[in-house]
Amino acid sequence: MEAEILILLIKLLLIVLVIVFGSIAYSMIYRKWRTKRLKLIETTFAKICSLYLYPKPNEESNLIEIQRELKSVGITPTKPRNVQYLIDLMIRTQRSILGNNYIKLKTLFTQIPPYGASASKLKSSKWYIKARGIREIYEMDQSQYTRDLIKLRNDENIYVRREAQIGIVIFLGWKSLRFLPYLKRQMTLWQQIKIVEKLNDLYPEPDLKHLRRAYNSDRPYANELIMRIIRKFNLTEDIAYIIQFIDNPKFETREAAIYCISAFLLSDEQLREIKEKFYHISNIEQQLMLLKYIQRISVEIDLPFYKDLLYNGNDIIKLSTADILWNNAYKEEVQEYYYQQYTQKANSEFISV
Amino acid sequence: MRKALVIQEDIIILKILERLVILNHYECKAIRSINDLEIEDQSANFDIIISDILFDGIAPLDFVFQIQEIILHKSLIIVTNMGQHKIEKEILASQNVSGFFPIPLDMDHIEKLIA
Repeated sequence: MEAEILILLIKLLLIVLVIVFGSIAYSMIYRKWRTKRLKLIETTFAKICSLYLYPKPNEESNLIEIQRELKSVGITPTKPRNVQYLIDLMIRTQRSILGNNYIKLKTLFTQIPPYGASASKLKSSKWYIKARGIREIYEMDQSQYTRDLIKLRNDENIYVRREAQIGIVIFLGWKSLRFLPYLKRQMTLWQQIKIVEKLNDLYPEPDLKHLRRAYNSDRPYANELIMRIIRKFNLTEDIAYIIQFIDNPKFETREAAIYCISAFLLSDEQLREIKEKFYHISNIEQQLMLLKYIQRISVEIDLPFYKDLLYNGNDIIKLSTADILWNNAYKEEVQEYYYQQYTQKANSEFISV
Repeated sequence: MRKALVIQEDIIILKILERLVILNHYECKAIRSINDLEIEDQSANFDIIISDILFDGIAPLDFVFQIQEIILHKSLIIVTNMGQHKIEKEILASQNVSGFFPIPLDMDHIEKLIA
């Protein structure tokens, strides 16, 4: 009886072993075949690109021939993985070429088969496929899908809407400010920075008409975004927009305003405005930052302002004010305040006794 | 006919450069790594070498130095993904290199150099 069970066990194990080895062998053969196939696609694609960019003299590149060639190495709608590989190759190529050839490649890529693959990804229900589709569209500069990207700007998935917003900025430039300040959802700091950088890279000439229209937006992230744009493009005539947010009740908005204003020099009028707003900032750290900034850009020391802070401010503010006064040849004022403290203390002690 | 040697790992860039060189009336040897070099190449006296600098087992600067020592040629152009400014400065300063092009690049510049 026992021997039978053992034999059965051995047989079972043998079957398992055969399955394991079989699957290893299969995967090895498949991988070998697959790498070969991908290499073939790569080589064919490289040949197509090079012949398209530098055709033989007196020979027009033939698009139908190119399509046929791609089909023969397995680029067909039924094999989405091959198509994806080709798309990756296209993006890689477009990233590494500039100048006339870039424009030529762009036209080539609109005309070879898999292009629709990226657009169809936008309809997928999975967020990562959607986001990838958007990315492919803007990386390959296929602006005919701008409309679809605009529709996705409020998508519930953060990655999808991020990519869509970036795509909108790439295709529409400053016109994208018609949409971006009015989004339904918050925009992270990182996304704001990315948008500002993209604008700066691709559309370095500021378009004030579209920017100023966006000033009406009351969304906090939009205010921050616009302030960052004003800073990045050094729009000195629009500093007033930043100044109005210096004493905003929201911490992040104030933070952005103080950060952005620090890139500019102010007129006396603006400086006065800022000093007024200084008292309404509820956060000591931010007050300190602003104080340092005021000191840095002022030509002369505004004694009444500093003295007021020295006598009425918070202890930390008092300390930095004293520091500023001391280092700008107003030692007496600091000393006066110093001694006045003790007489005050002595008086109060005297009373308490 | 003038002779050219192109060494690029990225096959797409390699093929495009190869076409460009051939169109400019060169006889072109295009390879993907330095392992594909042959002993005869040493004395082939290339008019131009267009090469990457990033290869297995050799530092970029060493490579530039070595290739100038070993392979007979007239001018050397670098096309590479490793386009940091520091590398460019080092290569252009220390060696006799006629062009340095970080990827992404505009092929027209190379065409001007080799025409």
